[in-house]
Amino acid sequence: MATTAVTSAGIASEAPRSDFGRVLAQRERRFAAALLAPAFLALLATTTFPLLFLIYTSAFRMDLAMPFTNGFVGSENYQMLLSDERFWTSLLVSLVYTGSTVALQVIIGLALALLVMDMKRGQGWFRVIAILPVVLSPAVVGMIWRTFMLAPEFGIVDFLAINAGLGSKNWLGDPTLAMVSVIAIHTWQWTPFAFMVLLASLASLPEDIYEAARLDRASAWQSFRRITLPLLRPAIVMVIIMRTMVALTAFAAIFTVTAGGPGTATEILNLYAYRKSFTELSIGYGSALAVALLIVTIIISGMLFAMRRAK
Amino acid sequence: MTAKRLRIFALLAISMVFLLAWAFPIIWSVLNSLKTDSDVLAYPPKLVFAPTLEAYRDVLFGSGSILPNLLSSVIISVGTTILTMLMAVPAAYALARLRFRGKKFAGFYVLATQMLPPVGIIIPYFLMLRNIGWIDTYQGIILIYLSFSLPFAIWLLVSYFEDIPFEMEEAAYLDGASRLKTLWRIIIPQVRGGIAVTVVFVFLNAWNEFLFAVVLSGNTVRPVTVAMFNFVSVEQTLWAKLAAVSVLAMLPVVVLGVVAQKHIVKGLTVGAVKGGGRR
Amino acid sequence: MSGQGQVSFRNIVKMHGEFAALKGVNFDIRPGEFFALLGPSGSGKSTTLRILAGLDAPTAGRVLIDDKDVTSTDARDRDIAMVFQSYALYPHMTVAENIAFPLEMAKLPKAEIAPAVKDAARKVKIDHLLDRKPGQLSGGQQQRCALARAIVRKARLFLLDEPLSNLDAKLRLETRAELKKLQRSLGVTAVYVTHDQEEAMTLADRMAVFMSGEIQQVGTPAEVFARPNSIDIGGFIGNPPMNLIPARYVDGDVIVAGHRLKTTAATAGERDVVVGLRPGALRMTEGGVGARVDLIEDLGDTAVLDLDCAGTMIRMRVSDGNIPGEGDTISITARPQDIHLFDPATRMRL
Repeated sequence: MATTAVTSAGIASEAPRSDFGRVLAQRERRFAAALLAPAFLALLATTTFPLLFLIYTSAFRMDLAMPFTNGFVGSENYQMLLSDERFWTSLLVSLVYTGSTVALQVIIGLALALLVMDMKRGQGWFRVIAILPVVLSPAVVGMIWRTFMLAPEFGIVDFLAINAGLGSKNWLGDPTLAMVSVIAIHTWQWTPFAFMVLLASLASLPEDIYEAARLDRASAWQSFRRITLPLLRPAIVMVIIMRTMVALTAFAAIFTVTAGGPGTATEILNLYAYRKSFTELSIGYGSALAVALLIVTIIISGMLFAMRRAK
Repeated sequence: MTAKRLRIFALLAISMVFLLAWAFPIIWSVLNSLKTDSDVLAYPPKLVFAPTLEAYRDVLFGSGSILPNLLSSVIISVGTTILTMLMAVPAAYALARLRFRGKKFAGFYVLATQMLPPVGIIIPYFLMLRNIGWIDTYQGIILIYLSFSLPFAIWLLVSYFEDIPFEMEEAAYLDGASRLKTLWRIIIPQVRGGIAVTVVFVFLNAWNEFLFAVVLSGNTVRPVTVAMFNFVSVEQTLWAKLAAVSVLAMLPVVVLGVVAQKHIVKGLTVGAVKGGGRR
Repeated sequence: MSGQGQVSFRNIVKMHGEFAALKGVNFDIRPGEFFALLGPSGSGKSTTLRILAGLDAPTAGRVLIDDKDVTSTDARDRDIAMVFQSYALYPHMTVAENIAFPLEMAKLPKAEIAPAVKDAARKVKIDHLLDRKPGQLSGGQQQRCALARAIVRKARLFLLDEPLSNLDAKLRLETRAELKKLQRSLGVTAVYVTHDQEEAMTLADRMAVFMSGEIQQVGTPAEVFARPNSIDIGGFIGNPPMNLIPARYVDGDVIVAGHRLKTTAATAGERDVVVGLRPGALRMTEGGVGARVDLIEDLGDTAVLDLDCAGTMIRMRVSDGNIPGEGDTISITARPQDIHLFDPATRMRL
């Protein structure tokens, strides 16, 4: 039997074009739309629509206490904002708060992760205890720190301070100390997160490169700086991004501890917008502040994501 | 002591300090909840004392009982979780495994919604609910809880859905299963673990929520995180009772945390790798 | 069975944007045949299988099964069963449930499902594993489970996508034989994708050899081996592969390394060619082409010699005990019917 010598028909133009591919793709599209619709509608209603409404409100003067002054004011709220000293202070407080706590979380979390990596036993203990602060409500955390840790004398921190010779301090009443306290509380709650993520990351690093480094006579510090750190970079950047987002918009933890006080010493922009809207009832201006916070968030996340991509 | 032994001792000491630092505030609150008010205020702070359940009795059954608040929290958290999962599971499946135009945009949209500061949402939301009289209602508060639980749940679930090999769906398809049957009988049973983790996280975040709760709550809807403030005022703080309330507020999440520990860690680290995540 | 499993591909083209994965594929498969789609990775054989299954749609062309145009028919309605390379077993179901799944989807009454499952499992010898989950099975057992799930449907066409590639060498050989026996006993048409030419050669009744999105040859293994249509096919089939030597064709002879060899071609003229010589077709002789023995691979009953023939490396199989030493110069030749001639530009057979 002769072998069938097949000549390739080339990109045949006489062959009937198949529409089946299009039918399949369309069916998939419809199915995907049906599955996504509920979630998307919900998201539109609870995030996008409110956001648009927020921007709309920020162009108005809306004082629930003095309704006769309400009306459209255009960009007046924003002009006020730019010359509002309290706004700039709160922005500064936000940045200081966020920067400090994220840096501390990463440094302490990394140090602990490195420590625990080498421990053969006891890792289990760390995991159980590390999980506790992370699952708690920031509101409750704030409350118990405010009362049982930082209260004068019978609060444990104050007790330790007295016994260490520092004397009783006004942890929440002194502006600088208040700032230190809220930063410390936030760091206390979220360092375990950085710790767990970095520990998992460390555990996933291959062993053999360290053995190779040892053969190449690298010291522990060099191993760390030249091998561990670069390999951990993606995880560290991820942690920084996530924790920054949370710290910028942290509300409950500061609210329950100092409510922004003393005065405005711990008033992050977040809190300022809240106070303006719900305590002073100036919703129009409060909306503008919230929009400002959104812009700040977008700028900062933009920078962080750029940092992430720059490998 | 040799240098090595010294080093080990130092490391052990440091670890103990940290373990203590993280565990202590919680333990201390529990201890304080078992004291009388005078014991709480005692100086130096009493580690040894005669424990009493007085605070719990008052807080649960007394005149300022927080039982309705606990119930409030339960209703809100369970409601949010169910609603979230019903919408997030199909959405995550579609994002993870289906091909369609605009998929990238959809994924980006979900990620972007997580960047909205909550205070930016609560202000317009408050105004809107006020107009339709939904302040202090369960439907009002559960709805806004979706704004943070949905994107997070979708993002977490997507990573679990992505792990299933594509050929399994094709095999099911060739075996005669419709797309829905494939999703229900083949895919979802395999992401059971991921669904469980997501449920835990969504419940946790809903239970712990404060800002939305404090703005939208009233006399009917008042979760326990807000009820804490019943026990603090300018004139006085009901210390032991406050401790008891805090412990009760912490209880479900701590139990969940310890029980689902491995899964939570995995969920956190998975979320960290893929990006997104609120808490 | 709703037909006999006769397959026709007419001018199937598959484009991915600008890239042509399939450039116009034509072939016919006879009912009951074991038909192999053979080719290196990326040659288009898996794409062809998926188009036949209905998992992907062609850009142009028609697919016919039992003379019915199924190009626009859903995969589920084509009465096709498939075994995937990764087996694609459902890990949360037991073996029995896995095998029963297609019958469940076809809404077969429960009373009929159980015996059908047992029957299929028995045919592939896993009826003692019905209560296990896929995670508890060995690779070979998983593969049988995938097979059982496919045969339980009694479909008219059986597609297999490199089903043996995940097994270790020994298991692969054993399973190969059993697969062929199974297909024979079921009498079903089988379409088998592989990149392993030995597998195709031993299993297939006929095969289609794919290269770069086209079929370059269709025929029985013997035909493809004896008369490969192109340089690529010649070099692909057979182990050790065919020797390919650039040479000069002059009036019916070729000049290799200065020596004239007779061929079966009769055309007059002179041109450049590529000569294909199978290692097993070379013989030692007096006054033939000179070559120096560089290396001897002694395989026990046969040996493969690496020869240096005026700069070109040639391999030769020797099995009659007269193995020359390393460094020796020997003289080789081949019979005219064993000398294949190819066009160096088109790479096709002359």
